[in-house]
Amino acid sequence: MNTQINISDLTVGYDKTPLLKGINLTCNSGKMIGLFGRNGQGKSTVLKTISGLLPPISGDFNFEGIDILVLSEKERAKVLSIVSSTQQNIGGITVKDFIAFGRFPYTNWFGINTNKDFQEIDNAIALCKLESLAHRNYDELSDGEKQKVNIARAIAQDTPLIILDEPTVHLDLINKVEVFKLLKELSTNHNKTIIISTHQIEYALQICDEIWLINNKEIEALSPEALINANKLSQLFDEDIISFDKSTQSFRLK
Amino acid sequence: MYKKVKSLLGAKTSLLHLFLMNNAQSNKINLLALLLIVSAVLFFGLDLFLGSVKIPLNNILSILMRDTSEKETWKIIILNARLPKAIAAILCGAALSVCGLQMQTLFRNPLAGPYILGISSGAGLGVAIFIMGLSFIGVSNVGFSTNSGLIISSILGSLGVLAILLSIINRLKDIMTVLILGIMIGSVITAIIGIIQYFSQDAQLKSFIMWTMGDLSAVTRSELTLLAPIVIIGVILSFLTSKNLNAYLLGESYAKSLGVNIKQSQFFIILFTSILTGSITAYCGPIGFIGIVIPHLARMISNSSDHRILIPLSILLGINILLISDIISQLPGIEQSLPINSITSLIGIPFIIWIILRNKKIKNLN
Repeated sequence: MNTQINISDLTVGYDKTPLLKGINLTCNSGKMIGLFGRNGQGKSTVLKTISGLLPPISGDFNFEGIDILVLSEKERAKVLSIVSSTQQNIGGITVKDFIAFGRFPYTNWFGINTNKDFQEIDNAIALCKLESLAHRNYDELSDGEKQKVNIARAIAQDTPLIILDEPTVHLDLINKVEVFKLLKELSTNHNKTIIISTHQIEYALQICDEIWLINNKEIEALSPEALINANKLSQLFDEDIISFDKSTQSFRLK
Repeated sequence: MYKKVKSLLGAKTSLLHLFLMNNAQSNKINLLALLLIVSAVLFFGLDLFLGSVKIPLNNILSILMRDTSEKETWKIIILNARLPKAIAAILCGAALSVCGLQMQTLFRNPLAGPYILGISSGAGLGVAIFIMGLSFIGVSNVGFSTNSGLIISSILGSLGVLAILLSIINRLKDIMTVLILGIMIGSVITAIIGIIQYFSQDAQLKSFIMWTMGDLSAVTRSELTLLAPIVIIGVILSFLTSKNLNAYLLGESYAKSLGVNIKQSQFFIILFTSILTGSITAYCGPIGFIGIVIPHLARMISNSSDHRILIPLSILLGINILLISDIISQLPGIEQSLPINSITSLIGIPFIIWIILRNKKIKNLN
């Protein structure tokens, strides 16, 4: 079985104006991949493009032998799920029903859940430890809880690939750590490929297997160690203000 | 056949399971649906019974069952006036409520309604040109029977707006642009209608104003044979979009990531809404507020945002409210029936104010 992720010659951007040109990346699937880059460098654009929300200007994204970008929405929904940074505000729906949205690509025209669907929903709830919230109303939850519910929905979608765009951005420290640990668990024990963009560089370095770094309109793939050793992180930001300390693996203000 | 239906519906086909997993909730909603069906039947009977001419109940029944009556005029009143009107009220209530619900979800806007796309304005322009404009440019409209002329011109007007909408929807990136466009089309058309009104004669102006007030009694029995199938098919097709409408609650990106073909489903939702609104407006005129208020009422009493529940519930509520409105509009003691549009607004507006004051926010829709 093909266990490779291949992004070849991908050019992304809006309205035919390229933001990042000729992206070529290869790595093994089943990994946790962190996408770093400063604001406005195109992290979200890359993620939107490879998740099929934004048409590419050119190029391909091949996941385990499947050409993601030529699939129909329906086919793609069974290969990849997404989690974004913003949470929806929906009333009149329980947490369990919200997570059940993940079964959408598998249910019939009327959205009837079968026993297998209920099983997947319960699995997702258990994995994210949301049992105590399952019958609460979604709109009564805190931001951190909502984001975990969103991730549970993506897990219920049962896709080999989950793409998350800054999922921890509105969360406090504990919630951030919990989300990261949950994602790590998904990639190590459930063989999911996780692609996550984040500004939580210090945490991501500790748990990601691979880093995609966007800098100066280029994107390159590195292991976290290589990234630290090559001093790439200090170069990412203004070195007069902040630098990355290799020994403690954290940023230091100057 | 049964097996086929069963497999079509999926594994769990009992009515209880159709309406979600939580049994307590589904029991409550099934009970509610049953009550609304019973009350709709009662109001339907009351709508036939009440009117400026008093007809005994046993005669109404014998007219309906055996086609006989003590007086021939009673038979005519029931079969040619009250019955078509009551059926029109049912069709109107069902269609406008479903359309309003679809538009509110599609545009994620609590004030959206069936007329938000400008379809009824198009119908209004068609009618305005027919009533006032033709004579203005020297063409006489006496040749047409006025009623069918109204309907044809109204349909043409609606189709015109629909054609504009559908031709550009695929070029627009954001569904909100469609909303703005619909409102703009509506405003332009209202302006044009204003000009036509300004130059038209009193009698014609009055008949146009009468049209804008809505009239369920304008629908004749023979016209019902066309309107009823359109509405029934349109409502069923709308019901088929309920799975996709649910996904829209998550927003466009998530809906797409769950496998919804956004462009296609938007196209169909707008098409179904336009056909339903357009045909209702053509036959009964623009009937206000039902389409905005009923979906909120459905959300409020079901405490759900699942369209598989909201669509049938909105249909039942719409039917009930419009039958009540029709009963009020022809209360005994009043020789002429009141314009239906005034009644729906008088019922609808206090109600929506009450919702806002009671809930602080409009429920389940941001």
